[in-house]
Amino acid sequence: MIFRIFLLIAAFFTLIILSACEPKPQPINYGSDGCEYCRMTITEAEFGSQVVNNQGRAFKFDSVECMAAFDLTNENPENIHSKWVPNFLNRDEWVEANEAVYLHSETLRSPMGLSLSAYADRESAEEMRQEYGGEVIGYEQVKQIVEREWLSNENIGQHSNH
Amino acid sequence: MFANKKHIILAIIFLTPLSSIFAQITVSPDGPVASIKKAIEMAEPGEHIMVQPGTYTESDIGIDKPLTLEGIDRPVIDGNNEGFIFVINADSVTIRGFDINNTGRSYIRDYAAIMLEKSKDFVIEDNRLDNVFFGIYLAETERGIIRNNRIESYDKREASSGNGIHLWNVKSPKITGNHVTGMRDGIYLEFVDDAEITGNISNDNNRYGLHYMFSDGGRYYDNIFRRNGAGVAVMYSDNVDMMNNLFEHNWGSSAYGLLLKDINHSKIERNRFYRNTVAIYSEGSNHVHIHRNDFELNGWAVNIKSNSMRNRFTENNFIENSFDVRTDSPRNPNEFDGNYWSHYEGYDLEGNGIGDIPYRPVSLFSMIIERQPESLILLRSMFIRLLDTAERIMPVLTPKTLYDENPKMHRIQ
Repeated sequence: MIFRIFLLIAAFFTLIILSACEPKPQPINYGSDGCEYCRMTITEAEFGSQVVNNQGRAFKFDSVECMAAFDLTNENPENIHSKWVPNFLNRDEWVEANEAVYLHSETLRSPMGLSLSAYADRESAEEMRQEYGGEVIGYEQVKQIVEREWLSNENIGQHSNH
Repeated sequence: MFANKKHIILAIIFLTPLSSIFAQITVSPDGPVASIKKAIEMAEPGEHIMVQPGTYTESDIGIDKPLTLEGIDRPVIDGNNEGFIFVINADSVTIRGFDINNTGRSYIRDYAAIMLEKSKDFVIEDNRLDNVFFGIYLAETERGIIRNNRIESYDKREASSGNGIHLWNVKSPKITGNHVTGMRDGIYLEFVDDAEITGNISNDNNRYGLHYMFSDGGRYYDNIFRRNGAGVAVMYSDNVDMMNNLFEHNWGSSAYGLLLKDINHSKIERNRFYRNTVAIYSEGSNHVHIHRNDFELNGWAVNIKSNSMRNRFTENNFIENSFDVRTDSPRNPNEFDGNYWSHYEGYDLEGNGIGDIPYRPVSLFSMIIERQPESLILLRSMFIRLLDTAERIMPVLTPKTLYDENPKMHRIQ
């Protein structure tokens, strides 16, 4: 009996240790955490994104575009464990950035002005596109947009919406 | 004969309907015109609509011609938590003297109490907005005035609130004498040219009191920014003048009195920074002149990253801040000259009011915190004081080139 209880406790702690080891998305404190890329305070849960490194530290961003910009300019890519974006239609759900589907639509404005929102699957992104226009894209194209709009010209914002 | 003529004139005045003389429509809850929408429908362009006291439950009130809407003794327009309240698509519209409450809320549509689209020369003044998602929303407008409005929203049940005064793609707006509280950003500007923002009070907003994004050539002065979630942010903009403002009580892990991100050729003059976590945080900002400001009782007066270049700090008062200047590199390409530093311990043998030895505003401890934030717990310990004093005498780790050659002996008035 005592042995069984011991086993149970041991199993319990192994579980805790294992779950603590696996880096995973952290909760964002909206209205208090700052964006790692643009320094703005993160307030909108439908856009707040994050990168988790191998030590489990989360780098938080106010928008998909800031996360992609961080990803593109990161000097230490091998230490990135995973990248997470919120499902625009269910803001408590984290979707892996590479698996997410994105809508790039001028009518759905995002915090840093590149009009990017993320979805868990292609169907819901398509539905949103039918309502709001724009194009459905993947993470590689998100990076291309950020590269083109922000990184290849010196000044952020110079070319969007004008 | 004379008397008769008088009678005829009187008869004409009394018999002619009022509206045709003054071009005016009156709306009242129990009158012939009981709804604002109906009055707008009836009105000729340029007409004046007077609204009597009472509560009007109306939303999505469209205005597509020049009109003046004036509330008498603050009539209430209740949007019933549905959609927009006013949507204005015409030039020369005035809305004055209303209480406007309860817009819809949405994560996709930016519902606002007063929405102006592609309008010119409008005046929105003396209104009180309460429980609104966005307050006054300007999109692609020119030369409007937003004056003496009060906007508040304390609905904390909603995870996100909108901005009090929101401007997107706007030219030459004047925003003056407004009071915004309890919103996301008090005043938000995105792609706005030549904004003039004066005499506003923006306090207790969830994010910034004032937020510039990609907005060149504006100026803001005589405003008060108090207890906002993260202070004031001026980002990705050029030629912004910031004068005579008060930045106070902005506390928090990512809170600043004033956050400068990618700002060029701007002026920060005669402002007062009082009790902020960081009074001015500067990243990637160049050619900014910081002149004659008071920095008092802040955690850090200035946190300037070394990617900020050719900024000048002159004749400012640095009074009892926990740290005067923080930076991330021993090389800091910015100039400090002729400021008053209350932590200065030098002397003035010549008696010219300028200290004879330079002042180094970056303490060793400040550099240690930059690398190891947790060490802040050692603040005010004896050991740290000794280290700081030793470092001041013989700088090793602190920026050698960052010093004030002419520290003032007395506070600059």
